[in-house]
Amino acid sequence: MLNKDLRKRIVEIVTKAKEGHIPSSFSIVDIIDHLYGQVLRYDKANPNWPERDIFVLSKGHGCAGLYVVLEKYNLLTAAQLENYSQPGGILGGHPDRTKVPFIEASTGSLGHGFPFSVGIAIANKIKKKKSLVISLLGDGECHEGTIWEAAHVAANRCLDNLVAIIDWNLSGAQLCPIDDLPAKWASFGWQVHVFDGHKQESIVEAFSHIEHATQPVALIAKNTKGYGVNLLEGHGRWHHRIPNQQEFEQIMEALEL
Amino acid sequence: MKGLREQFADTMLDIGRQNEDLVVMVGDISHGILQPFAQSCPGRYFNIGICEPTMVSIAAGMAKQGLIPVTHTIAPFLIERSFEQIKLDFGYQGFAGNFVSVGGAFDYAQLGCSHHCYTDVSLMSHIPNSQVFCPGSASEFDELFRSEYNNGKINYFKLTENPHGVEFDKPILAGKIIQVSEGSDITIIVLGPQLKNAIEANAELEKKHGICVDLLYVHSVKPFDSAKVISSIEKTRCAVVVEELSAHDGIYNLVIRSWNSRDRAEIRQLAINDFVHEYGNYSNLCDVSGLTASNIIKVVIETMRHAKR
Repeated sequence: MLNKDLRKRIVEIVTKAKEGHIPSSFSIVDIIDHLYGQVLRYDKANPNWPERDIFVLSKGHGCAGLYVVLEKYNLLTAAQLENYSQPGGILGGHPDRTKVPFIEASTGSLGHGFPFSVGIAIANKIKKKKSLVISLLGDGECHEGTIWEAAHVAANRCLDNLVAIIDWNLSGAQLCPIDDLPAKWASFGWQVHVFDGHKQESIVEAFSHIEHATQPVALIAKNTKGYGVNLLEGHGRWHHRIPNQQEFEQIMEALEL
Repeated sequence: MKGLREQFADTMLDIGRQNEDLVVMVGDISHGILQPFAQSCPGRYFNIGICEPTMVSIAAGMAKQGLIPVTHTIAPFLIERSFEQIKLDFGYQGFAGNFVSVGGAFDYAQLGCSHHCYTDVSLMSHIPNSQVFCPGSASEFDELFRSEYNNGKINYFKLTENPHGVEFDKPILAGKIIQVSEGSDITIIVLGPQLKNAIEANAELEKKHGICVDLLYVHSVKPFDSAKVISSIEKTRCAVVVEELSAHDGIYNLVIRSWNSRDRAEIRQLAINDFVHEYGNYSNLCDVSGLTASNIIKVVIETMRHAKR
């Protein structure tokens, strides 16, 4: 399993703060790690470097997965993570761009970050910037109308500088299943690739499709919510649950295996 | 007389030629009259589709990259339908941009309640770093937009299709009331297009009833000229507020808050109290809502009578 240490760190900060979405963060942390390690162009010394690529976590409730990756790449400090969801801290249960360097969008309410990303991509075209815009959204978030409005506009405007990663962990299937999610994105005019968001070679292969895109690209990740710890996997009570001491130890032990 | 919507198109064209960061997005409204802008400013005009909330979020993304977005469509769709996108994507994230609506309270009178809009001004006022304007003439819009569109704020311009017909020889300044007539018997504070009714009422009040009205015209709701309101009511001790906004939260509230804790004054409101299910033209629906010169006269006389008790 990839990123056991990042998963442990997610559990640590969430348990300490008594706030956070552990399974949602586990679902996307491998992809986010790959983005900051291999894909995104940024300047560690200058969060506002004008030519940087932009990553938007549209499903903001998975932000613990983003915070631990930013810490890993020295874009946030350990002290900042220790103050996660604490008074005076800059990291909350949803990301806030007005407080946190390298956080590009304040998200939380679903259906915002993705159309916002479309606007960034259009602006980059107007300004003739080569930067890439990558937006990560949930499959449950795909219930929101603005996702499909924005998907339509992006294809209509031929935004080949825009990538949507859909965390297809079947959260939405508990409510109103979208069984043909890849076909739906394809029907909206997107170049679609389905991959395993927990396997390194599959992630690398998926992102190889970005380089020569001629239309917006949807990378649909067949993920598992809570991936890596049986106790957390699947859906239900762990979505927004905080481990007690016994559960904390049980989760940490599972991540040692 | 030039309409506000035509002025909007002309103003965009002129500023768009000067400032290459200005981008205009519409939801299939005013598409025809914006073609000169589209042709003069290639790549900076988008008839984005019938997807107003997404248009707002896209505009916020543009603002993040240093552009100056202007979004434009019918008021209830631009503001009420899209409010969470405005609140979060612009307000919470701290981006600046411009919202220009058409279809004031009853400009689409014959199309029914779905196209009426009278809570937009209140909604936009709640957002930190917002400014809210209700210009009642083409020149007012032009002056306000030019001075405010690139000020780092969230600017809302509510355009009316029924201009009041008055041209002022004074500058139009954000946050400043215009004194239309001076009097000491009662204050009338009137917003945007209702100035037309207020001026008609004012003339008759003076001619038939000998009442001298201190008539204050408001085009700028946020910032609001509290000082001017206070100085007028200190003089008259009674006021009537006339506005094409929801009675639950309009400039009446701003007047009351401005006057708060001062001596007794009688302050009444003429506004929209409920959904209006009637059809007809703008004037017909104003009649239904009591937004008429004759009703202003009636309420002014009642207010003065009550104030003297």
